[in-house]
Amino acid sequence: MDSSVHLDNVVMNFGDFTAVQKTDLKIESGEFFSFLGPSGCGKTTILNMISGFLDPSEGVVRIGGESMVGVPANKRPTSMIFQNLALFPLMSVAENIEFGLEVRGISKVERKKASDRLLELVALDGSGNKKISELSGGQKQRIAIARALAVEPQVLLLDEPLSALDLKLRQRMRTELKDIQRKTGITFIYITHDQGEALTMSDRVAVMSAGKLQQVADPITLYREPETEFVASFVGENNAIAGTIENIQGNMVTLECGINGKLTGRGVGQLSKGQTANLFIRPENIQLGKKGDMVFNATIQEVNFEGSCLTLNAFISSGLSVAVQIATEEYSSLFIPKASIQLSFMSQDAVVIAGEEHV
Amino acid sequence: MFSQLKARFGSSLSIAIIAIIAIWLVGMVILPQLIMVDYSFRPNLLPKEIGGIKDTYSLSNYETLFSNDIHLSIFVKTIWSSVLVAALTLVVSYPLAFYLAKVATPGQAALCILLLIIPFWINEILRTFSWYIILAYKGPLNALLLSLGVIDRPVRFLSGDSGVMVGMVYAYILFMIFPIYNAIESLDTNQVKAARNLGAGWIRTHYRIIIPHAKPGIATGCIMTFMLAAGSYAVPALLGSPGSRWFTQIIYNWFFEGGDWNQGAAYAFLLLLICIGFIALVMRIFKVGLGDIAR
Repeated sequence: MDSSVHLDNVVMNFGDFTAVQKTDLKIESGEFFSFLGPSGCGKTTILNMISGFLDPSEGVVRIGGESMVGVPANKRPTSMIFQNLALFPLMSVAENIEFGLEVRGISKVERKKASDRLLELVALDGSGNKKISELSGGQKQRIAIARALAVEPQVLLLDEPLSALDLKLRQRMRTELKDIQRKTGITFIYITHDQGEALTMSDRVAVMSAGKLQQVADPITLYREPETEFVASFVGENNAIAGTIENIQGNMVTLECGINGKLTGRGVGQLSKGQTANLFIRPENIQLGKKGDMVFNATIQEVNFEGSCLTLNAFISSGLSVAVQIATEEYSSLFIPKASIQLSFMSQDAVVIAGEEHV
Repeated sequence: MFSQLKARFGSSLSIAIIAIIAIWLVGMVILPQLIMVDYSFRPNLLPKEIGGIKDTYSLSNYETLFSNDIHLSIFVKTIWSSVLVAALTLVVSYPLAFYLAKVATPGQAALCILLLIIPFWINEILRTFSWYIILAYKGPLNALLLSLGVIDRPVRFLSGDSGVMVGMVYAYILFMIFPIYNAIESLDTNQVKAARNLGAGWIRTHYRIIIPHAKPGIATGCIMTFMLAAGSYAVPALLGSPGSRWFTQIIYNWFFEGGDWNQGAAYAFLLLLICIGFIALVMRIFKVGLGDIAR
């Protein structure tokens, strides 16, 4: 069954404000797709357009290849899990799960079978007669999933459903969600501002900022090959060093960074000599000593121990602070504030992105 | 209560405060009621006979209602019509309350509430009179319906109970709208969205999600409207015809035209008892407690 979602040149305006700029995006059938971005970037608006709570100002939403123009929210093959779950507090757990089936006129016996099966899927067998208020946060979460799956949607929409849970539970629910997605094989569209969630669960991630899609890629590509400054700085930790493009050789670009010297990295997108650009290098790609081909001196500002790793904040020549992540084994008692160290990175690991935009 | 007051105002002032409340409550609320209860069980006598051998307690004033077919039928009709008024007001108010609570923008809602409240700055008698004019045989409503061709001769709205019902629905609409509005407003909008998302149409969304949530508000509104309707005097007096008397008018007649306070008191208490019974019934049906209503 085709359960792809196609945002066909969709635009959403609220009065003068453009919440979602022209977006053309196809989410494949059976994909776990995430929209990642800070709050107010338009990701929830996209979800509302797919579910039918909002009609796009321009463009068409297609689900399974069919246009959803004029199809109201209650007739779409989508199911949503709300940020606050929105379970019906006056109904029992089973009634909640069966609500969508009751609407479709399915007999009581069949409904009961379905809710039993779903309760088993979310590992809450026998809780059908409980009240919603008797459930813990994680259990409510799972009932919300069961309720959304009961109507056998082609597309499951998830609006930051894990944000209210504590860390441990959140990590477990990530695995469970991924598991459920594999079992059911339906398209999951997940909205989050938490990059950890987006990167661990998704097949592909769309990074959004200010109503614009910045980059759509699988998590590893997104992390290794950011295409815009926003993606480079929003996804994972990154150090940015500003400069002017001095030389381009193949895909390697050398930046003149003034007092910080000349630094080389892989160029991304359209770049030309004389342009201002940023070189992004991740904390874990900066090493102690001269192992890399780009070497610079730094002064330690502070040392943060984080368990399996250490983060050093160090000033480089211009007074710019960079974060450096090293393995705990590399720790030496010489790492004290104001100590001088030598740092280096491989130019292959650095990315040069053009743009005036400040990070 | 006393210790809290004492901690705040000292003992002499607290005693004064409590004494004032007690005097007000006992002297102006409880005692008059008890005197009326006392009246209702005694016969109506000439002043010189009061305290004499004829002045004995009996249930005869209460029995009068059940031996007078006309009064009894008016009594039953008053209760039934008040139920209808409550139901009709609910039908009119629910969509408006829903619109105010969930559909309208804050500006629209404020304007709408203002428009609802402004007429209530005018005296109830005057507002009822305006309905008298609107519903009159040669009034504007008949003129409008005639000119639209809906009717071919004027309708006598004011004979029978329909004028009284219209007047009461209008007079008590705010007592229905506001409790329901408050109840619906506290509903998380995501609940409505979730129901829609699971495939529910509008009717089912109201029936399964919104109305169950608004139940305490609906019960409060129905009880208030029913009480006000059953105890109303001005509306039936102005908009009713001789054939559509309200029970309150009978009570009034006993007191001020018949001069029989004892009989009037008995009738008034019967009305009160039935109303309390009705409220208890409504609360049982809707499964709401006193706490829900006081909210």
